Amino acid sequence: MTPKQPPAGTSFKMERVVGIVLRSGVIASTACLAAGLVLALVVGDGAVAAFLLNTGILVLLATPVARVIVSTMEYVNERDWRFAALTGIVLLELIASAVAALVFNRKL
Amino acid sequence: MPAVSVTLALIIFTAGTIAGSLGALLGLGGGVFLVPFLNLVMGFPFTVAAAISLTTVIATSSTVSAGRAGKQLINMRLGMLLEVATAAGSFLGGVTAQFVSQSVLQRLFGLVAAIVALIMLSRLRRRNVILDPNADPGLLGGRYHEEESGCTVTYHVKRLPLAVVASFLAGNVSSLLGIGGGIIKVPVLNAWCGIPLRAAAATSAFMIGVTATAGAIIYYGRGQLVPALAGAACLGVQLGSWGGMKFGAAASSKWLKILMAGVLFIVSAMMFMRGGR
Repeated sequence: MTPKQPPAGTSFKMERVVGIVLRSGVIASTACLAAGLVLALVVGDGAVAAFLLNTGILVLLATPVARVIVSTMEYVNERDWRFAALTGIVLLELIASAVAALVFNRKL
Repeated sequence: MPAVSVTLALIIFTAGTIAGSLGALLGLGGGVFLVPFLNLVMGFPFTVAAAISLTTVIATSSTVSAGRAGKQLINMRLGMLLEVATAAGSFLGGVTAQFVSQSVLQRLFGLVAAIVALIMLSRLRRRNVILDPNADPGLLGGRYHEEESGCTVTYHVKRLPLAVVASFLAGNVSSLLGIGGGIIKVPVLNAWCGIPLRAAAATSAFMIGVTATAGAIIYYGRGQLVPALAGAACLGVQLGSWGGMKFGAAASSKWLKILMAGVLFIVSAMMFMRGGR
């Protein structure tokens, strides 16, 4: 099968890299959450289960952030400054959310 | 907060599976069904329901988009451009959710959802596509292969400022109410911005991961995100969205629109009931 023409400007590499990041994040977080739930409910191991569940949630939250970071790097790599700047702004907005979370958690 | 028992985890897992499959079919993210269930049926505080739902929105977005990456159905450029607006809206929504009574916003949302549903139903036959495979989609437009017609579909993006405003509002509502926000973006992108429903839904599903994360991080920091419950819901939603995706490729655009309009009316009624109290 011959490769289909991509939409103007969107590289195949970008689609592939984004796919890899999302898939890895999904697999890692799902594994942690499933193991954590089984431990908590079936075995009843509190500390390890809580660690796994928290890790699973954090990996889940980190996956879109990682996708934005990788996209920014890929746009810089392609010298597409307009979109590098746009994804950079999205990254700053996510950082603002993390700062707000720390403020609500009174760690700042 | 209730103690997490095996029964509770199984109930939430099942609810997640149903919400996830419906969400994947409609490009909504599933939160539209999960939040009312957790809040009205299970009796969780609204913020706790919203936080659980936001994590499932992220899981759905990552799962669905990982499966679609490389098929050009997701308009990544448009998605990343509009994410600037959704993430800003979501950040503000996540912060406001900690301070503001939500009943006014919920009634407003009910109104918006009903209007959007009516617009969707009135535009069932519009295709918004150019069937010449050599047409230039422009900087933000897209091109993809539609399986049921066997055609290569090309489209231009029209009225970009409107798409940006809709994305900001979608991000805001997403964080405040714990839904994906596709409920606002997809109809606007489809009805006014010239983007075919399938591509609009895929692009929205791609964006809502980042949108929901901007809000979920704030709920997590506030301690409103219960990992065991969110975990059970996420696993269910992932199973459901996997099933929905398999079935979704075979569903026709017209029926998707009718189904989606019906969902919008139900959500609208629920928002009015809840906000009116």
